[in-house]
Amino acid sequence: MRDVAIIGVGSTVMGKFPESLPYELGAEAARAAIQDAGISPGDLQFAYCANLYGGMVIGQAVMGEIGITDIELTNIENACTGGATAVRKAWWDIASGLYDIGIAVGVESITTSPMAGKLITPAKGDITGELGMNMVARFALSQRRYMDMFNISLEQIAQVSVKNHRNGCMNPYSQYRKELTIEEIVNSRPICEPITLLQCCPSTDGAAAAILVPLDLAGKYTSQPVTIAASVLKSGDYAFRWEDMTFSDMTSKCANSAYEMAGLGPEDVDVCELHDAFAMNELQHYVELGFCKRGEEVRLLEEGVTDLGGKIPVNTSGGLLSKGHPVSASGVAQIAELVWQLRGQAGERQVAGAKVALAHVIGGEVTGLESGAVAVHILKR
Amino acid sequence: MKTGVPFREGLFQGSDEKGSLLGARCRQCGQIIFPRREACLNCLGNDLELIQLSRKGKLYSYTIVHMPSEHFEPPYAVGWIELPEGVKIFSQIRGWQERPLETGMDMALHFEKLWDEEEKEVVGYVFRPSTNGGA
Repeated sequence: MRDVAIIGVGSTVMGKFPESLPYELGAEAARAAIQDAGISPGDLQFAYCANLYGGMVIGQAVMGEIGITDIELTNIENACTGGATAVRKAWWDIASGLYDIGIAVGVESITTSPMAGKLITPAKGDITGELGMNMVARFALSQRRYMDMFNISLEQIAQVSVKNHRNGCMNPYSQYRKELTIEEIVNSRPICEPITLLQCCPSTDGAAAAILVPLDLAGKYTSQPVTIAASVLKSGDYAFRWEDMTFSDMTSKCANSAYEMAGLGPEDVDVCELHDAFAMNELQHYVELGFCKRGEEVRLLEEGVTDLGGKIPVNTSGGLLSKGHPVSASGVAQIAELVWQLRGQAGERQVAGAKVALAHVIGGEVTGLESGAVAVHILKR
Repeated sequence: MKTGVPFREGLFQGSDEKGSLLGARCRQCGQIIFPRREACLNCLGNDLELIQLSRKGKLYSYTIVHMPSEHFEPPYAVGWIELPEGVKIFSQIRGWQERPLETGMDMALHFEKLWDEEEKEVVGYVFRPSTNGGA
């Protein structure tokens, strides 16, 4: 198996773009990644395109915009984990020796989809979906239980959103660039109690892309290749095996596999982008990703360990809460942020001397499972 | 009066005070699953017995939803109810305006109209705070 490197990344600004069709957003991100890598579109041998709501063969529409046809192109749907799945599949196509250069794109346009203004729900006919389940309710149930069993306050949870919105102010790609207070977050309108509007990621349009090659060929393209030290993707497990329906057992298992694959541990991680779809998620993911023990997660946040300047800055991009959550693009957008961090190109939000970075996404709701899919990537320079 | 139809076949039997949710117990590993499947989802064994699940349980967690869903107008409540068998059921919760919900409170199974569908009334399970003790 060959080591794989990322030689180029690109992203659109995240936001609400009713005038932009999904393939236009995807093409913008792909073009930016191609330019960043210093390659020609014609060099690409294969492509993966992750998308949830854009419709038929959207990857072909994206690539068709930038002159790429007649290659192996696969469209991917894996809910919030779609983008990471595209990166994972591109990683394997290079690692296995099948191809020498390819692109992973994630794209989502909620505003132009039938989901505009609605809560995301399970697939048609899903039992819990018919009975009133949606993605916010799913995490509200976990949050209610978490707050009651572990004595966590809404104010403590809101601090995650405060931190990530502060980070978002420093990211030109972020959907929101505005600081929030604990009071504003707690007192914003309830969506699914105890989750209020400003504890939720917004609905977001946007796209991101990454270009992968074997590490031993990367020097041809760049003096700053970023190596993929681990790539792990797992489907959800049954909820009857989910220990307490608060902390994500899927994330713990996936992270452990990723650390093993990389030969690294949580103590080695310098910067992390994790799945803060709801503020509460970030606290729990600190534990599952091994940054602290259960019961220490609020202290980790309050002491600034996960803030810029702390030991493990988390969601320097603003995270899903502030940068936005273009569902299938988020996994690739995280990789873009971390590549910029490892190259020292993250501007005001740069983590000094970052060498190892971790990306985590989880998502998808279906009756009987904890969640649909989870992915962890570890990058290093 | 509209004709009542179950919201999904095979999830429950009856629709009165004797009705119950239908689960399955694996004779090999003891896992109880809801809804039933052809094989055990835990050990994949094929020797399953049909069981009627308890009509009472505890509120494991809940949320009041303030956005509309396909069939329900806000605000409505949903939750996970843990039955004595260890199974957690996702369900609509009714009666929450009269009795404030609390994690761990006793809940009882009821069968009620979920929503209207043209000439029919779709009936399913809901849980309500229990007035005479829980499981």
